[in-house]
Amino acid sequence: MLRRALPYGLAVGGSVVITAAIAEVQLFTSVAGLETVYLLLVLWLGVRWGRWPAVAASVCAFLLYDFFFVPPVGTFSVRGPSQLLELVVLLAVALVTGQLAASLRLSHAQSEAIAAESRALYQLATAALRSPEVTSALSLLCERALLIEGVSRFALVGMDFGHAVPLAGGDLTADELKQASWAHQNGRAVGMTVTDGTIKLMRTRPDAGSPAYVPLASGVALIRVESEHPAPGDLRMLAALVGLAGLLLDRRRAALESERARGLEASDRLKAAVLSSLSHELKSPIASLRAGLTALVAPRAGLEPEQTELLQDLDRQATRLDHMVGDMLALSRLEAGVELDKEPHRFADLVGSAMRQLRSDLKGREVTVEADDDLPPVEVDEVQVGRVLVNLLENALEWAPPEGKIALGAVARDGVLEAWVENDGPPIPATDLDRVFDTFWTRRARGSGLGLAICKRVVEAHGGTIRAENMRRGPRFTFTLPLARVTAAQ
Amino acid sequence: MSGRVLVVDDEVEMQRALRAGLGYHGFDVHAVGTGEEAVRESASWRPDVVLLDLGLPGMDGFQTLAALRPATRAAVIVVSVMPGEKDKVRALDAGADDYVVKPFGTEELVARIRAVLRRQADLTAGEPVIRSGDLEIDLAHRAVSVGGKAVRLTPTEYELLRYLALHAGKPVTHTTLLRQVWGDYAVGDKYNTRYVVAQIRKKLGDDSSNPRYIVNEPGVGYRLEAS
Repeated sequence: MLRRALPYGLAVGGSVVITAAIAEVQLFTSVAGLETVYLLLVLWLGVRWGRWPAVAASVCAFLLYDFFFVPPVGTFSVRGPSQLLELVVLLAVALVTGQLAASLRLSHAQSEAIAAESRALYQLATAALRSPEVTSALSLLCERALLIEGVSRFALVGMDFGHAVPLAGGDLTADELKQASWAHQNGRAVGMTVTDGTIKLMRTRPDAGSPAYVPLASGVALIRVESEHPAPGDLRMLAALVGLAGLLLDRRRAALESERARGLEASDRLKAAVLSSLSHELKSPIASLRAGLTALVAPRAGLEPEQTELLQDLDRQATRLDHMVGDMLALSRLEAGVELDKEPHRFADLVGSAMRQLRSDLKGREVTVEADDDLPPVEVDEVQVGRVLVNLLENALEWAPPEGKIALGAVARDGVLEAWVENDGPPIPATDLDRVFDTFWTRRARGSGLGLAICKRVVEAHGGTIRAENMRRGPRFTFTLPLARVTAAQ
Repeated sequence: MSGRVLVVDDEVEMQRALRAGLGYHGFDVHAVGTGEEAVRESASWRPDVVLLDLGLPGMDGFQTLAALRPATRAAVIVVSVMPGEKDKVRALDAGADDYVVKPFGTEELVARIRAVLRRQADLTAGEPVIRSGDLEIDLAHRAVSVGGKAVRLTPTEYELLRYLALHAGKPVTHTTLLRQVWGDYAVGDKYNTRYVVAQIRKKLGDDSSNPRYIVNEPGVGYRLEAS
């Protein structure tokens, strides 16, 4: 109370002192414009305490000057218009001076406040960004936010791969978490908006006392402001804290994502390592077996013909086993997500490689290739698509009668290459047409049921489709491959 | 044709099988289980062919290959279980003469060993005419003919065919072909080799979908079939 009254007391007292001083001076000499001394008082009060003490001093000065110096001296009345004008000018100048001084004080106070806020924010930001644990930095930030007048709650929620996780500023109820997720998913603020560092409280709140939800890039800030009209400085501080929280949440998410990527990479590496060691473990014994069995087949080994025949049978079984293991490993690799080495290839080259690989099985069989010379190249992994052709040709060899024909061909159609392999064996039962590509499904008693499953996986990995159908001549397998972007080099 | 074959494989069963199998085909076989021994033996025993398994304990196949290459003139055939195409290319680029995928039959292996031995013999004899079926490449006269009929090739086509002919029977990687025919700047543009090979096949009257002369090594490169 006393502190509030002090500037007014100074206004009145100061005016009286100045009036006495002017009166004293005027006893000795007459100086024009001495009344401006009042302005010094008004100025000082304005700068020091603001507008109202300055106004009080202006009014006091006006009254005292009128009473003591404006003739008729000793009364508040004035004699003529010129005296009146003199008084009005004094009052007006005093009021304007006071006003200017007061606004100077205000802007000074504001810049002081902003500087203080910036310092506080800077310290907070440095502390937060330096701390290795993002969560502890977030807690620091929440504590600071609660220091703002009128802010009764400030909590931060992280959005981790679609799940809302309370990170700092206390626990949230299930409903609040749901609300936070909603705000984040829809990018819609509830109760409060923050744009370009400016906070606006929404008039319409869902219900009194419920917090506001501000969605950020990687999370949500839950804020409850008690007062209806918080000070602008407080709102600025709050906005800055929300901005900082956004940055920290981004940092947290980036860390989480790289950790997750490392995890996936490690699991991929593990899968690849397991598969490679498995293939070595399974194939090495078969390799020794085949090398041994085929060694004894040589005439110089000196075995009887029936013994040699038996060894050859055994070697065929070992070879079958080898193919089965190979198919299983190939399928596991495809399922683990093999990386395709896609390049432009001519379809004829792919067929050539496959036919060469099967040349001993194809010996004496009629294979026709129907493909134009100027077929556009396809963008494929040569080795994987080679496997598709080999598997389809092997399947055709299996089903075509001994004197039967195998036909393969390709046309470019609708931006893809459509290729097929056909044989004149018995048709596939209509109910099985879709099932032939299922893993382990086979029509043969001794088939592995993997060949066509591998074809489907490889074709689909290239973004193509594969289907089985019965043509007039026999079953046909048709698949599509993507065309290469380049039409022809040179 | 016989010769000395050094088997480098850490599996005793495989060593025994190859010693017997290759022995029946007239080869003189010596088997070791580590890369260090292989380097030592190839210096003292002087094999004609080294059968090198890539999955060795300790000093691995690639390290052994690197150590063997300057020390010995023996042909190296790399042997591996399910090698990736990158491994094949790496082995060929490191100086291997061929690769064989495990498991293999003895006949197949013998054929590959004979092919590299024949190539070595041809190279030392400085044979100026290389044949692949009825295809003849006369290196001295830069002349190419199929069944006695001359074939006109562009300089690029001839260079590519010549390089394959000099290494007849051996898989040549895309990178090597690009470097040898076009120069270092072209390395990486595999479609170049595919295009030129297609042109050569057309001129030789060969069928890409069932080639007789230049065959594809999927994921690796090309090989000129040796007659």
